[in-house]
Amino acid sequence: MQNTAKFELRRVALIVLLLGLAVIVLAAVLGTGEDAGTIISIFATRFLGIFIEAIPFLLLGTLVSGLIESFVSADDIARWTPRNPILATIAGTFMGFAFPVCECGVVPVVRRLYTKGLPMSVGVTFLLAAPVINPVVLVSTFVAFGAGPVLIGRFIITALVAFAVGLVFAVAARPQDVLQPTSLAPVMGGDGEVIPLYAKTRRKPLLVGLRDALNMAGDEFFDMGRYLIIGSLLAALMQTLVSQDVLLALGRGPVISVITMQLLAFVLSVCSTVDSFLALAFAGTFTTGSILAFLTFGPMVDIKSTLMFAGVFKRRVVLYLILLPLLLTMLIGIWLNLNIAF
Amino acid sequence: MEHIHDHEHDHAEHDHDHRRELLAEIVKTGLLIGLGLYFVVNIVSGNLTNYINERFSWLSYVAAALFLLIGGFSALHLLSQRRAEHDHQHDHGAISWATLLVVSVPLVLGTLIPSRPLGAESVDGNVSITAASVDNMVLSIEPGKRNVLDWLRVFNATDDYATLNGQPADVIGFVYVEPTFGANQFMIARFTVSCCVADASAIGIPVQWPETVEQGQWVRVKGVMQTGDFRGDAAPILHAQTVEVVDQPEHPYLYP
Repeated sequence: MQNTAKFELRRVALIVLLLGLAVIVLAAVLGTGEDAGTIISIFATRFLGIFIEAIPFLLLGTLVSGLIESFVSADDIARWTPRNPILATIAGTFMGFAFPVCECGVVPVVRRLYTKGLPMSVGVTFLLAAPVINPVVLVSTFVAFGAGPVLIGRFIITALVAFAVGLVFAVAARPQDVLQPTSLAPVMGGDGEVIPLYAKTRRKPLLVGLRDALNMAGDEFFDMGRYLIIGSLLAALMQTLVSQDVLLALGRGPVISVITMQLLAFVLSVCSTVDSFLALAFAGTFTTGSILAFLTFGPMVDIKSTLMFAGVFKRRVVLYLILLPLLLTMLIGIWLNLNIAF
Repeated sequence: MEHIHDHEHDHAEHDHDHRRELLAEIVKTGLLIGLGLYFVVNIVSGNLTNYINERFSWLSYVAAALFLLIGGFSALHLLSQRRAEHDHQHDHGAISWATLLVVSVPLVLGTLIPSRPLGAESVDGNVSITAASVDNMVLSIEPGKRNVLDWLRVFNATDDYATLNGQPADVIGFVYVEPTFGANQFMIARFTVSCCVADASAIGIPVQWPETVEQGQWVRVKGVMQTGDFRGDAAPILHAQTVEVVDQPEHPYLYP
């Protein structure tokens, strides 16, 4: 069984990674001179701080996504989209206000919309914009950073990048060039392994819908929660063990800080509803341009969304969907660092 | 990886999967309710302010309610499922043990490690004597009623520290001492938290006091401001008349 072998390999890789991390942490604890009990206590406080502040937003996000899955059908969304391609792409940018989904919820929704005849460009724009441009993320970013350059910058940059990448697809794309054959087939076709399919199209009775929404929220909480928890553990470790001088050396460079934060955003794969709270841990030492790159690139592209893209789009398109947001947010972040004093 | 139950699926294996799924559901339900209770305990005990700005504590009420709602619902589902010896038409796969383990981490850390706010040991780098935010409102606060943050804002708003000379001060904070401080000097410090401890930063006022004080001890210092030398720079220094050991305040952090 090839699948089992792959699974075993992943398990071994995970164990090796965890052991390596444990050794590094142990070495760092022994190196700081403080006693271990104190360090663990500080670490726990920092970790739980991020966790406690972020969790309500994660729960709200999963609940909303459960409700959408229960009560909104893809036909509704397709019907409300304007026909003109430019207008439709603009609509795609702000569709997240009607459907607040994070980057994990957005891919299955887009896939289903495509089967309902949504233009390629609108789907791509919605895919990239919705995880940030929605009310839940608006509030969580406000709670973390207040009404300032980070909040405003995050929304403007995301809208610009999503709109621009969407337009690229408006020019040339035919569905058969963009989508995997499985996504082109009617909804019930396709492989259900990477992406959970929405099997029900009929509107559900209220109570059944609510029950399903709560059920899905519970499952999705675990799905998303593990990324948040691993991300918060790493952020707390970094704050506790890595000295301020090292962080400043990395975080003050206008270019290196942006690249570092983008890499971190990709690897941590933290849900867009709560990534502001992780970014806070870096806000004291890293440039504002790099914080913005983290908060705009991460929701568009990370490990888990890349996996999901691969299940829907052709390989070349997946590459575009990763590289275009990467380069655009990187350039904007570096430009902001060099030209704007925050 | 989720198994696809095909027709040749062995019956014993099927039973095994079934039991494993049920167990995972029970653990999942337990974690949801446990996390809900953890939030309730934090709210009731007041430990919440060790972690987040009090302004956002309502968010934790929401979290507690949602956890208990989703967890309670999951429990009901579990009970009704067992009674009906369920039909095995899951539309959701069982959650992996690795995921359950990861999600249990905050619960384990939160219950096993006694809750403690950031203190003198958590200071990395410097305790700042300038406030990040300027707020001229503080000038209207009576000197004797200003807290550490208010004083720093006053320092920021003043061109000449000498104008503060002779003003009475009465502040609470923890003791922070470093070898670079002058003889008989320590800082009375606080952490400021805008959102949660992830953005905590240490601030403090230099204090002149002839007796030795213990690092990290919470104290109440009464005295008068007098410009002097602190780490080689001119700075407003609180010349203490009394230094009284006090309990850690209910809200350990100041909220800018």
